[in-house]
Amino acid sequence: MIEIRNLKKYFPIKGGFFNKQYGEVKAVENVSFKIPEGEILGLVGESGSGKTTLGRSIIRLIEPSNGKIFYNNKNIIKFKEKEMRELRKDFQIIFQDPFASLDPRKKVFDIISQGLKIHTKMNKEEIYEKVKTIINDVGLQEEHLKRYPHEFSGGQRQRIGIARALVLDPKFIIADEPVSALDVTIQAQILNLILELKEKYSLTILFISHDLSVINQIADRVMVMYLGHMVEIASTKKLFSNPRHPYTRSLIETAPQIFRKDKKKIILKGDIPSPINPPSGCVFRTRCPNPSHDCKHGNIEMGLIEVSPEHWVDQCCVNCN
Amino acid sequence: MKSEKLLSVQNLKTHFSVGNSIVKAVDGVSFDLESGKTFAIVGESGSGKSITALSIMGLLPNNLSSTDRGKIIFNNQDLINLEEKEMRKIRGNSISMIFQEPMTSLNPVYDLSFQISEVIMLHQNKNKKDARKIAIEMLDLVGIPEPQKRIDSFPHELSGGMRQRAMIAMALSCNPKILIADEPTTALDVTIQAQIIELMKELQKKLGMSIIFITHDLGVVSEISDHVMVMYLGNVMEIAETNELFSNPLHSYTKSLIDIAPQITEEKRKIRLLKGEIPSPIDPPSGCVFRTRCPNPTHECKNGISTMGLIEPKPGHFVDQCCYECH
Repeated sequence: MIEIRNLKKYFPIKGGFFNKQYGEVKAVENVSFKIPEGEILGLVGESGSGKTTLGRSIIRLIEPSNGKIFYNNKNIIKFKEKEMRELRKDFQIIFQDPFASLDPRKKVFDIISQGLKIHTKMNKEEIYEKVKTIINDVGLQEEHLKRYPHEFSGGQRQRIGIARALVLDPKFIIADEPVSALDVTIQAQILNLILELKEKYSLTILFISHDLSVINQIADRVMVMYLGHMVEIASTKKLFSNPRHPYTRSLIETAPQIFRKDKKKIILKGDIPSPINPPSGCVFRTRCPNPSHDCKHGNIEMGLIEVSPEHWVDQCCVNCN
Repeated sequence: MKSEKLLSVQNLKTHFSVGNSIVKAVDGVSFDLESGKTFAIVGESGSGKSITALSIMGLLPNNLSSTDRGKIIFNNQDLINLEEKEMRKIRGNSISMIFQEPMTSLNPVYDLSFQISEVIMLHQNKNKKDARKIAIEMLDLVGIPEPQKRIDSFPHELSGGMRQRAMIAMALSCNPKILIADEPTTALDVTIQAQIIELMKELQKKLGMSIIFITHDLGVVSEISDHVMVMYLGNVMEIAETNELFSNPLHSYTKSLIDIAPQITEEKRKIRLLKGEIPSPIDPPSGCVFRTRCPNPTHECKNGISTMGLIEPKPGHFVDQCCYECH
């Protein structure tokens, strides 16, 4: 349904005399992937890996610098603003922080119905009916529509955020860390809700999270990003049972687990480098536990290769390890 | 071998008056901290974890309601009734604390040298030059590269992980007996979280301090702690050794938490649920506070006439009597 080809996003850094551009933040670098209809694709990586920028570039909330985005076989990069606005109905986002993403001065009904008022020609009664159905679907009641966001708990607010995203019957949802700000018991409720609604509304979802154990529960396929690059993509089962990239392996091994059979783990040294001046060659080489000679000197080209059917890994690190 | 009790919290009650009502943030918490050990406190937001820690530090706001507040025994002194002047000698010296958000807990307008030396000069009677020297040693100890250079950095020049290391350096600079860590890794990426947990374990081995580690993440608990206390709505649900708690949980809340915790498995797991949300501490359920979310309450429990209180069904394993009897 969605296909991304060689997507790039560089943010210019300007300043100084005449506001000259003197650098670039390489947020997303040559990313290509597909999301078939009805799939939940998990996107993991540390902060600064480009997850959110990628998510927003896909629906052109951030204008990509380069690349192609196909939605139902049409390249939407070429779409004019008017055509794009038509398409916005199909694309929705669920945000991380339910405290910051709801307008505190609007009632829940106004928050949810705003999209309907802009995109459809429904009359008042139809709008009310639609909003009522949605609010029940996300596990809240009709009476909640008259209240303001501050009257709700974090979990309930996230349900309102989900209702707002679903009200226009979208096809594709970007869930940007939707459960990261929630307690574990509430997190489980929201994940379950997303899975239920996915079936009911036949959604396709890009699920962004830094938490591998959450991704493990919800995603069909997983894509791992590091410093703007895709380093591994595979089905959830394959990725967790046989991770091939040392970064993925380290993420899996360092995720705190209650019952861990094997306490041995690779702890990565250092921090993620700055995307203004990423390492040459393989971007992971500064933290790689086992870099080859070529890799250390930054002479290696990055690029995905298919190690087993539908399991793609960055070539550099497969050869190193 | 029985370890020595370093800190003993007995029936701690921290209630706040807000308007006309009383918020029972911590309502009768008791536990002992052994020397050289790590004691974890887990629970959801609003369970009273942080207020328990702040009560020990004596860092509470002044709208405390005047009830019997229980006892916090440290060094044969009751910290609850200690005067502020005396408390100031202990705080930051023999008991110190690190916080969740290293960006907001470091002062952005001073460099690390000033912030770390300040603690050392205050508590150890050192002059500026010696304090700076100790500060550099501390930065080295917590694994900050090039400490001589880094000591003059400001907080915004450091990454999140480095800032948390600097916080730890500051907290440990007076060689405390107890380090209270309030969600120290929650704001960090997993790879950095693993580094900080490893660092804390190493430092504990080297310096021998006890740690009270507050977290909402049971996975982190299993990595770091010797004992665990599970809290819910200001009350203790269960206390046990970490392995014992995970392999043999007795309270239904603990069981649910363990069941729900997302885990990395090779097969996709079904998501398990605990219904509802934590009630408001202004108007907690009568009887057992957990009864509104309990998957399997008894008749008495449902009607709110059961009484709470810890019992010890196995040596060293304490559980709230109400939920122990329900199941």
